[in-house]
Amino acid sequence: MAEWAQEVLALARRWFIMLRRERLSLVFSLVQPAIWLVFFGLGMGRAIDARAIGTADYLAFVLPGIIAFTVVGNGVSSAMPLLFDKEDGYLEKLMAMPISRSSIIVSRFLYQTVLLAGQVILVLAVAFAMGVRLAAGPAGFLVLMLAVALLTLAVTAAFLALAYAVPGHGTFFAVTGFATLPLLFISNAFVPFDAMPGWMAAIARLNPLSYAIGTMRILVLDGWTTELPVTLGVLAASAAALLACGTYEFRRHTGGRVG
Amino acid sequence: MTPLVQATALTRAFDSITAVDHLDLTIDRGEVFGLLGPNGAGKTTTIRMLATLLRPTSGTARVCGFDVTEQATAVRRRIGYVMQQTFQSGRYLLTGREAVEIEAALYHVPARAVRARAAEVLDVVGLAPHADRLVMTYSGGMKKRLELACGLLHRPEVLFLDEPSLGLDVQSRHAMWDHVRGLRDGGVTVLLATNYLDEADRICDRLTIIDHGRAVTTGTPAALKRAVGGDVLLVSTSERERLMQSVGNAPWVTRVAAPDAVVHIYVVDASVALPALMRLALDAGIVLERLSYTQPTLDDVFLLHTGRELREAA
Repeated sequence: MAEWAQEVLALARRWFIMLRRERLSLVFSLVQPAIWLVFFGLGMGRAIDARAIGTADYLAFVLPGIIAFTVVGNGVSSAMPLLFDKEDGYLEKLMAMPISRSSIIVSRFLYQTVLLAGQVILVLAVAFAMGVRLAAGPAGFLVLMLAVALLTLAVTAAFLALAYAVPGHGTFFAVTGFATLPLLFISNAFVPFDAMPGWMAAIARLNPLSYAIGTMRILVLDGWTTELPVTLGVLAASAAALLACGTYEFRRHTGGRVG
Repeated sequence: MTPLVQATALTRAFDSITAVDHLDLTIDRGEVFGLLGPNGAGKTTTIRMLATLLRPTSGTARVCGFDVTEQATAVRRRIGYVMQQTFQSGRYLLTGREAVEIEAALYHVPARAVRARAAEVLDVVGLAPHADRLVMTYSGGMKKRLELACGLLHRPEVLFLDEPSLGLDVQSRHAMWDHVRGLRDGGVTVLLATNYLDEADRICDRLTIIDHGRAVTTGTPAALKRAVGGDVLLVSTSERERLMQSVGNAPWVTRVAAPDAVVHIYVVDASVALPALMRLALDAGIVLERLSYTQPTLDDVFLLHTGRELREAA
């Protein structure tokens, strides 16, 4: 266990050193959700029918959508270094070391979660300054961060699964470029289920993103409702399923090797 | 004493190609052992199996007394594996020191010893003055030496070096050889895969020549060359066939081969054979365009056992 922690921290250190050397990338990552909230939220808010979204406060309504958008947007860069390690042969070198295979992907989850937490706290601070308050109060903030962590786990696992499954990075970027935005549009990120055509709402309800957004939206708009454990539960189950998927693809890629 | 590396009938097939075919290897503690062969001979596949990265199709291998498939983790703790390539992605935006420290932690060097151990291995390969530069700015030779340093972090009992001097200039190659000799003197056993004859000749205590996945012959470089014969006469002539027929039965000739335009005449002693060859050529009316003689090289050893030259095979 101590050895495992040492491995995870060593591998995570690599990600954090890279981040420190690419400060500009860090700055853009951190401010992006806040920029979206301000310009997209304020602008679109004027064009939205309050009856369709069930609240006059569009900023509060769209905040969870923008957080989810941020997590999904980071999904590509979450898997990219591991994809390059695979193509570069460095993954092979790691495999020859006496380390637990899981530490390779866990280090990336750890890094992504810390980075996302920073982005989300910043966008929440901006939202707070613009008058948005969490209906669920300070404890709701912790649950919201839990939802962000679960969503990060789910999205990172999905992109890792893709990275290990594809024959090369061309396919990876083709698939992610195609899928990222539709994944958001076919969810309740910007539009509630009730405002969608029935068939579209049916698809959107199958999207794990919708449950992360649903959880956060309840915390922001409604407070502690009985629906909260349901959405949080579906989110956790989706994260577990995608993690299993990512682990499977990782094992499949590194299979043929010993243990 | 049990050997440090013991492979028995080690075999690996990829679809229809048998990359390694019933290979037997015995490497003793403290020696630099070479796997010499052309590209595609099965050297890397052999090392990957010994390094627990590839499951053998059949046969067994034990490294440091542990089975490579059944006790992979125990093997991984005791080996260092320096791969053929250097890494872009794996070293992206890291300094040499950071890269080495991260790998030290991955080898479970105790946290308080990581800094010192990293500095120590960087010093061994002569990278201490460049430790705080980004690896991306290193020359090819420095990148290779960095990989060697990483292979030493956990003080492995056996080090697998896959083409350690591939792509290096003459100076860097000599520096690399010095490092390998230094490691051997420090008690590390080295398995070195190479397609360079001079590399195998200069730094290997023993070697196996490998071709099409099979072990062709094994021995010390000196013994292998001795087995070829005393000297080699290299003759250029437009009448190759006639020359080969004429000398074929001469008592001072052990064997004749013509892998390329030059006829190789293996003889016991060049000082006796040279005048004899001249007389024979004059008598037969064969014009010799060029004539020289050398000691046999490992290329001659490869030629003797495979009928091809290593340079061509590669």
